[in-house]
Amino acid sequence: MNLALVGINHRTAPVEVRERMNIPEACLGEAVADLAHRDGIKEGLILSTCNRVEVIANAQNNTAVEPMIRRFLADHHHCDLSMYEPHFYRYRQQQVIEHLFRVASSLDSMILGEPQILGQLKQAYSAARQAGALNGTLNEIVLQALAVARKVRRDTAIGTSAVSVSYAAVELAKKIFRDLTGTTIFVIGAGKMSEIAAKNLIRSGASAIFVSNRTYERATEMAQAFHGTAIRFEHLFDHVQKADIVICSTAAPHYVILREQAEKWLAARKNRPMFFIDISVPRNVDPAINQLDNAFVYDIDDLGQVVEANKKQREREAAWAEEIVQQEVQKAMRRLASREVVPTIVALEQRLEHIRESEIERYRGRLNALSAQQREAVDALTKGILNKILHGPITELKSGAGRPEQGSLVQMVRKMFGVVE
Amino acid sequence: MHAILQWSALVFYFAGIVLMVPSLVRRHPSLSPAALGALGVGLGLHGSSLAVRAVNLDRLPVIDVQSTLSFFGFLVTLAFFLAYLRYRINVLGVFMLPLVFVLTLISALRPGPSFQSVAFRSGWLMVHIACVLVGYVGFFLTFIAAVMYLVQEGQLKSKSPRAPYYRLPSLEVCDEIYGRSLMFGLPFLTLGILTGFVWAARMWHGPWELDPKILAALITWLIYLFLFSARVSGSWPGRKSAYVAIVGFAVIMVTFVGISFVSGWHGYLPNLGRLH
Repeated sequence: MNLALVGINHRTAPVEVRERMNIPEACLGEAVADLAHRDGIKEGLILSTCNRVEVIANAQNNTAVEPMIRRFLADHHHCDLSMYEPHFYRYRQQQVIEHLFRVASSLDSMILGEPQILGQLKQAYSAARQAGALNGTLNEIVLQALAVARKVRRDTAIGTSAVSVSYAAVELAKKIFRDLTGTTIFVIGAGKMSEIAAKNLIRSGASAIFVSNRTYERATEMAQAFHGTAIRFEHLFDHVQKADIVICSTAAPHYVILREQAEKWLAARKNRPMFFIDISVPRNVDPAINQLDNAFVYDIDDLGQVVEANKKQREREAAWAEEIVQQEVQKAMRRLASREVVPTIVALEQRLEHIRESEIERYRGRLNALSAQQREAVDALTKGILNKILHGPITELKSGAGRPEQGSLVQMVRKMFGVVE
Repeated sequence: MHAILQWSALVFYFAGIVLMVPSLVRRHPSLSPAALGALGVGLGLHGSSLAVRAVNLDRLPVIDVQSTLSFFGFLVTLAFFLAYLRYRINVLGVFMLPLVFVLTLISALRPGPSFQSVAFRSGWLMVHIACVLVGYVGFFLTFIAAVMYLVQEGQLKSKSPRAPYYRLPSLEVCDEIYGRSLMFGLPFLTLGILTGFVWAARMWHGPWELDPKILAALITWLIYLFLFSARVSGSWPGRKSAYVAIVGFAVIMVTFVGISFVSGWHGYLPNLGRLH
């Protein structure tokens, strides 16, 4: 294994540099094939998203892999990479694995825990697979990264709470009304903002929608788009009580929904709660309604506050996730290391066994005089000697697995015993 | 034999409760299979311990405070499994199982002197006790749902969500559990009280109607009857009903445990509960 990664991300490089270095999806396969066919490089992977461009390569042991990647990037973009030098980070060996695991688990993302990166990594993986650029250790590492990401999603809540205002509204609605199936939405003021909010609620299962607007045509337009019902603004208050969720976003400079009205609606609805989402500034829903039983009023700042709290939650979860990643990196390293050692041990044993057999062959004539029992004894004796000799180096190799000096140890043992690759 | 089974059940309950903790702290979507497995084994052992006891005694093992606590604990665990399988709410475990553990532990530590009163051979009495206990389990769930509702409602009203907001179910789910457990508990309590009356009228002679435990039970019944009618009419908001449900369960606790020591007729002490 001779791994290196060269990359930039949203933290190290401004958008101008990221777009300059971007490798679009369409030419990803071609690019990764070009990378993997360069001298000494065995495998390659390119992850290119709007927030990061990362190139990973696994090369033969004596190849200086990092300059190869840099040359590849320079060739691909026809530019002098030194211009962008300060933006690049580079990782080697274990660091590459750790970085890839963190990226896949969305711990390195701009929005912690966002789910897209996993899909993007899968895309990068299949592009590289199809280009024949993944077939060994790196292939396995990428698959492990995908598995680690799934484990992080399963065992932490890093991706669960909403980190945008409009999804925070959906999440709150779900804390009041379980899933939203069967809930009715009432949109007052058919603006862009309320349309987005309504769309998210409907996508999450809300079934009926009423729209009311000062200009009736606009209300009909939006109602049609959502297969809902338009209500004339004058008749608005006769219908609001049917709604579980009220989205309010008008240009009115005063409260449109007053406490007394809400009280009446709530009484008529018996025990069914109402959720008022007030995204208008100045506010349209009297905040005092929040004090009524079964009524919940969130204005735009309240939603922002929920988003902030959710972000903090994600940070806490990220700390758990980092622990999982570290454990998995250690596991991966141990697996890789022991796998690198095993062929050496096997080769070593075969080499010595070969010597033993050929020596016995050489002395066959003189050994013929011995009885079968004595010949067996010679066999056992020579095997015993071999095992005693091998015991030291094998123990050393096994205990060295995973340590940084392992590579040189393997080389040394191979040289000393004349084991060729 | 039943003591060994009960102690083993306790060990598994304890393991299950400990194994549950990470799922809660880290907000896993469900409890770990290990935790559920341990609790399931605990429940099985607990059930077998009660069954062995029942066979030995030739009646329901609810013959003194200790055995009744154990039986109640068993019913609560059973209710936990039913509620958990239906709703997948991890926090139910925190609310229900430590109580089970403590009740069963008390029961295991102090196996009280079982009194061989003829009274406890009566079938009516067994039905009475069993119905009341099943009703109590229902109201325990009502109580938990009420607490969850109030906490979640507080979170939503406050607009700055904290740990409970992320872990508790929605208000609608709390309300559903509240309503269902109430509808479940009330008929059992009613039946329990009625069979108690029938039995008392036949067996006791004297002013048993004024027994503090009977009075407390009637108060309990009135509280839950009120909650039931409030729910059916939909006239009372969830928050207020939740408070009353909490008070109702406090009264049950007092009735169940406290009054046993002052009541002449219902006292679980060996020389009481006598026949006249």
